[in-house]
Amino acid sequence: MASPSRAPDSADRIYFTLTALMGGVLLIYFASVPLLGLNVAFHFYLMLWITMASAFNVASGFAGYMPFGYVAFYGIGAFTTAILVKKAAFPVFLALPLSGVAGIVLALLFAPTLRLSGIYFGIVSLALAGICRLVITNMPEEITGGSFGLQLGSRAHPVQSFYVMMAVMVVALAVILWLSRSRLGKALRATRDDADAAEMMGVNVPIVRLWGWLISAFFPAVCGGVEAWYTNVVDTETAFNTLITAKTVIYAVAGGLGTVTGPVLGAVAMVWLDELIWRQFPLLNLLILGLATIVLVLFLPRGIVGTLLRKKPQWRRYIP
Amino acid sequence: MTVAIETRGLTKRFGGLVAVDKVDLRADAGETLGIIGVNGAGKTTLMNCICGLYRPDDGDVFVAGERVTGQPPHVVAHRGIGRTFQIPRVFRKMSLIDNLLVPVLDRKAHDAELIEQAEAMLERMQLIDLRHNHAEELSGGQQKLLEMARMLMPDPPIVMLDEPFAGVHPVLCKFMIDRIEETARAGKAVLLISHDLTSIYRLSSRVIALNQGRIIAEGGVDDIRGNPAVIEAYLGT
Repeated sequence: MASPSRAPDSADRIYFTLTALMGGVLLIYFASVPLLGLNVAFHFYLMLWITMASAFNVASGFAGYMPFGYVAFYGIGAFTTAILVKKAAFPVFLALPLSGVAGIVLALLFAPTLRLSGIYFGIVSLALAGICRLVITNMPEEITGGSFGLQLGSRAHPVQSFYVMMAVMVVALAVILWLSRSRLGKALRATRDDADAAEMMGVNVPIVRLWGWLISAFFPAVCGGVEAWYTNVVDTETAFNTLITAKTVIYAVAGGLGTVTGPVLGAVAMVWLDELIWRQFPLLNLLILGLATIVLVLFLPRGIVGTLLRKKPQWRRYIP
Repeated sequence: MTVAIETRGLTKRFGGLVAVDKVDLRADAGETLGIIGVNGAGKTTLMNCICGLYRPDDGDVFVAGERVTGQPPHVVAHRGIGRTFQIPRVFRKMSLIDNLLVPVLDRKAHDAELIEQAEAMLERMQLIDLRHNHAEELSGGQQKLLEMARMLMPDPPIVMLDEPFAGVHPVLCKFMIDRIEETARAGKAVLLISHDLTSIYRLSSRVIALNQGRIIAEGGVDDIRGNPAVIEAYLGT
């Protein structure tokens, strides 16, 4: 029988080396995009979707929820940044973390729904996102800009916002990487697999779920804020568009929920595919993307990384 | 002998059905208390009331003399009750090591130390070679062993085993019986639910028989074996 105490050390070394390598490549690549004159908009959105899918992974892959109303956090973040910058003259760099705080506050308001599970949670979450949208739409025009939304004026700075998006992505991935190996992460996964059994093993399920939920809410809210700054305009139609949730879910599922690399790979693969289809078949973009998603779910139900690890379970210890 | 666990007048109703009816039981440290009864007698419900999954309608549960009635399951678990389930409830998409770490997540010990303990426990249960597999990849019998290992990991003074031998191969059954005996010898109070009367009679120092939520007989193995009420409940004659 192999010595049980030696193997984890070497596995950990490979795990951390692989993580550092992948993180380094990702970082250098994205950092050089504006410097090399590559497509800034494409890469900005690629980072945004990596962050969104990874944060969604915490709620879904780690905690076992399927929040169909995930866009609510994104929308609230976008409007918080826009209102603070435009109406309260906050500097963008102060408004962005506050948009994350707004996401957390919203998550706390939604927290009672965490006692639901499965499809019931998904439907209630979708309804709550709809309510958020309605509330913002019906707020006084002087605050949210009504149907025209808010324009941030001369504050747009594509390259600065690109690098801020990169920083948000790096922080999100670092937090999720930590979570995947932390005690909180283990408690979340146990809760996902069997909440009653986890509770009887000493896990404080409501608290653990709440932490996962808050982490999962913070990053999309900041993403919404950064995107508002990048595009310079926010309106309820785009900020609360259900396609944002749909894309986030598809990218995360395509890569494989429950792993750190899964949603990153899923977002990279699907955003690239989306771009490719968009260029070749602009009129059939959504149709082809939908078909590609169906094929992916049919043949790789656990996503790219999930299927790979299913076939090669011995790699689980090496791949984040 | 120290009383490890005690219930007084424990009652649980589901609508008009009284699933557990004024049950008084007591198990001392190092004692194995067998709980027998036909299907629907209230054995698992009794266990669920003790560990906090169900809030009893009446009566109390005491762990080492302290009242834990109505406390949430995670608090009861921290008071020193570990349990297994009739149908294994392992954390399916977690490795065996991670499964064992879940009950000790609140410990201050360093992770490496806990992993070492988990590996020692898996070694004891002959699951060490599968330690990095996901629990869903184990057979039913192996999942029962994993549950037992997970239950023992935090070294609880009270363990409750719900049908540990159900659907398990005789060789594995013998292995589990040995582990249960070791556990009792280590000074833990063992509450053992089983339909397998042979194993119950072998392992238990005392037995209680439940029928329709009530204790119909209580005593040593020989008292229970010949008890007319138990025979009637089991055989209907």
